[in-house]
Amino acid sequence: MPYHEFDCSTCIPERKKHAVVKGPGEDLTSCLPLGYLNTIPGSISERGCAYCGAKHVIGTPMKDVIHISHGPVGCTYDTWQTKRYISDNNNFQLKYTFATDVKEKHVVFGAEGMLKQNILEAFKAFPDIKRMTIYQTCATALIGDDIDAVAAEVKEELPDVDIFVCNSPGFAGPSQSGGHHKINIAWVNNKVGTFEPEITSDFVINYVGEYNIQGDQEVMLDFFKRMGIQVLSTFTGNGTYDGLRSMHRAHLNVLECARSAEYICDELRVRYGIPRMDIDGFGFEPLSISLRKVGRFFGIEDRAIKIIEEETAKWRPQLDWYKERLRGKKVCLWPGGSKLWHWAHVIQEEMGVEVVSVYTKFGHQGDMEKGVSRCGEGALAIDDPNELEGLEALAKLKPDIIFTGKRPGEVAKKVRVPYLNAHAYHNGPWKGYEGWVRFARDIYNGIYSPIHQLSALDISKDEIPTGRGFLTARMLSDSSLSDDIRNSQVLKPYDGKFDPIAGLRAKTYPDFERLARTASAAATAAE
Amino acid sequence: MSSETTSSEAMSSETCEIEACESKFCQLKAKERIGTINPIFTCQPAGAQFVSIGIKDCIGIVHGGQGCVMFVRLLISQHLKESFELASSSVHEDGAVFGATGRVEQGIDVLLERYPHVRVIPIITTCSTEIIGDDCDGVVNKLEEELLPVKYGDRDVHLLVIKTPSFVGSMVSGYDIAVRDFVKKFARKTEPNGKLNLITGWVNPGDVKELKHLLAEMDIDATVLFEIEDFDSPVMPDGSAVSHGNTTIEDLQDTANALGTIALNRYEGGKAAQFLQKKFKLPTIIGPTPIGIRNTDTFLRNLKEMTGKPIPPSLVKERGIAIDALADLTHMFLADKKVAIYGNPDLVIGLAEFCLDLEMKPVLLLLGDDNSSYGDDPRIKAIQDGVDYPMEIVTNADFWELERRIKDGEIELDLILGHSKGRFVSIDYSIPMVRVGFPTYDRAGMYRHPVVGYGGATWLAEQMANALFTDMEYKKNKEWLLNVW
Repeated sequence: MPYHEFDCSTCIPERKKHAVVKGPGEDLTSCLPLGYLNTIPGSISERGCAYCGAKHVIGTPMKDVIHISHGPVGCTYDTWQTKRYISDNNNFQLKYTFATDVKEKHVVFGAEGMLKQNILEAFKAFPDIKRMTIYQTCATALIGDDIDAVAAEVKEELPDVDIFVCNSPGFAGPSQSGGHHKINIAWVNNKVGTFEPEITSDFVINYVGEYNIQGDQEVMLDFFKRMGIQVLSTFTGNGTYDGLRSMHRAHLNVLECARSAEYICDELRVRYGIPRMDIDGFGFEPLSISLRKVGRFFGIEDRAIKIIEEETAKWRPQLDWYKERLRGKKVCLWPGGSKLWHWAHVIQEEMGVEVVSVYTKFGHQGDMEKGVSRCGEGALAIDDPNELEGLEALAKLKPDIIFTGKRPGEVAKKVRVPYLNAHAYHNGPWKGYEGWVRFARDIYNGIYSPIHQLSALDISKDEIPTGRGFLTARMLSDSSLSDDIRNSQVLKPYDGKFDPIAGLRAKTYPDFERLARTASAAATAAE
Repeated sequence: MSSETTSSEAMSSETCEIEACESKFCQLKAKERIGTINPIFTCQPAGAQFVSIGIKDCIGIVHGGQGCVMFVRLLISQHLKESFELASSSVHEDGAVFGATGRVEQGIDVLLERYPHVRVIPIITTCSTEIIGDDCDGVVNKLEEELLPVKYGDRDVHLLVIKTPSFVGSMVSGYDIAVRDFVKKFARKTEPNGKLNLITGWVNPGDVKELKHLLAEMDIDATVLFEIEDFDSPVMPDGSAVSHGNTTIEDLQDTANALGTIALNRYEGGKAAQFLQKKFKLPTIIGPTPIGIRNTDTFLRNLKEMTGKPIPPSLVKERGIAIDALADLTHMFLADKKVAIYGNPDLVIGLAEFCLDLEMKPVLLLLGDDNSSYGDDPRIKAIQDGVDYPMEIVTNADFWELERRIKDGEIELDLILGHSKGRFVSIDYSIPMVRVGFPTYDRAGMYRHPVVGYGGATWLAEQMANALFTDMEYKKNKEWLLNVW
């Protein structure tokens, strides 16, 4: 077995099976780390908790909802303003967070009464918001509050409101992934099928496992709308509460992040017979294949092809400009879960970089199966990495850049490895054709930062170059390029806007004629 | 105005109702709603974690779910743009059901094995492990008898339990408790060291630098709790830099031998100062938070009183430079500007006092927890007695207390002072804001600048003025005023 043992982890031998190096000719039967097991205490793992997996990752991107956490104030405070899941309703869900603020007396005497008071206060403060989610935390799970009963009581009193309860305390599972699972199941059990949507297209999907980081969802919705597809709901980025209650009426579940949201797709298939189609919005080729797949499902592949041709013609020269300059650069792809396989092969193929390591904080073995199989030979794959292992890997691999979270990014900075935020992005969105170019642009800017280059100089020992007052990224990146590429009239660097999302929100879309049979079927059904 | 020499005054943090205040203009009241809409504070373990990173060769282990550490590390990282080491006992479902002391034992062993430099491990409890009733003191006793002598006999390792249930107090009391517990654990009477204990409270690297500058000008040797200047750490050519605090165990031990203690913040470090006073009979001064000219003057007077060292001409000049800068701003630009201030209580009070000296009008002070002793704070009483315009001080406050008043037109503000979590109030209501306190992740380098001392006074006033100037320009509101300034 090609397990990789870190020097820093020899004293915790159980770690040995959590890292592998993919050797020549090896496949997943021999090269797969363990995953999603309990964390070793004191190892300084990067994992979060099941509360954050439920509330922070999946619940909160829902935009027209009061999100209350039932517990002491810290769970709410600490997770608030640490994500970039925007929405087109002025970011209500980013700006407002609610905590019941459980105190000692409530722990002793119960917190159900104060929970009810909290709910009423919150609806009173925001009279236009009629939807609410309530998240259990460690404290209120342990004292055994019956949140469902309180929610039911309020719904009796306030008939125009609807409340969703998610019981996913922080300790419920090895990582945030436990919370993803719990909220998926709670939503399909309690909310799907409780709202009837208006169907306006022959082609109706749920877009699942998409959190609208820096506008990703809005980029993807643009494609779907251009294809005449009605997106009934997005689970959950920029999604509406009632849209998500009507998921049962879709013809197809289009699944993006299979780590965090495959559960609900699988349940929707079992319970409502809605097929699941896994797609990928990252990268020209995966995205093009995805749009064609969705098109083919509905018999409108021509619409997809038109979009693909338009977008590719516009953005390919820009992507290739970066590819020529990123070729052979070494990358550590250290995200949370699904991006390790969403990105592993495609950044290699489309940007020319070499993925020397993948890791996952909360992924399962299935994520590693996909990730490892998409990596090249010699890649180091790590499950539930910890601080020292990360540093050891950086020292050994000497990557040119690392894609990871904000705080681990600060660790990388100290060992002079530039980082990009894999969760929240640097200057996203990174989905879509333009987004993918933006990602390439961000990687380029990180690797060829003149300041980063200066960080290597030890002015006490090294010869200090005095010939220049400045360097540009372009000077650094283009010095080894051929004249043909450097002077290409076809290739060009990214020329889009700082914020590409504002334009999308103002856009209008053509009406596609409804097919006669479905339109009349709908009319018959309505009668 | 607010120097306060404590004798036997108790600073209770138990919850009880705050007495209705008698002031004609300024009301001190608790938030009426029970719930929290956009919290100003986080919970106790965060404060304890912030203290533990200030100590050299110390890695705290937070006993609870993993989010209690992961997100606090992120929060600290958002503020300082650095990463700090903190561990979790990673309590999962089985631990929550059957007890999780085994997770702490294993966690400490793993930490000690993999971090050979570690000398101190505080076990920081959380809501979950306080509710399940894990006996962490028992764990420490057991490990001190078994694991430490057997496996780590050649190392000098210290364990302590810091009890910070999240459902009591706030990050502020968590900080206060942790400072006290570290001092209590280590302080040992040996020989007088002639040094001063300076307990800073929850401040930034820039504040510590400024305070040490004042001490150096006064020629005073001090043990600073905590030495966090290096929280602002470099990128070194060899990649060797690590961010951590530099207060050592020896520094903590030696606090018992000081000639006295000055704790700048009543609510963040006051408990430790009282402990040293009671246990080792050290002369003790708690407060004032040296924000603004007047409070810095008092701080220097206290230093002089405790050490017998004179205030040197260099500080007279430095003070003069600050006064010169403030005189350019106060009556021309800052006078009568209405300000809301929120955050850690000592910071808020210090800022309010300084704003009053600058002819400004703090109209709303928000303190984010339910500490019942705020009503007894002589500084708050003095503000209540001293102001001659409507002002509110709200305890147990959240950001809705601020936003609702603005939204409903109950207050009109010219400026907001506070940390980044309140940024959307400023943005959505177009009110200029100066970021101050913890955390300040949406402005660059705020941790590098002091708010204390004469340097801090100048920087603060200039930040406020510049925020108002930018706002005048964006809103085309008498922006020409600056033409001949």
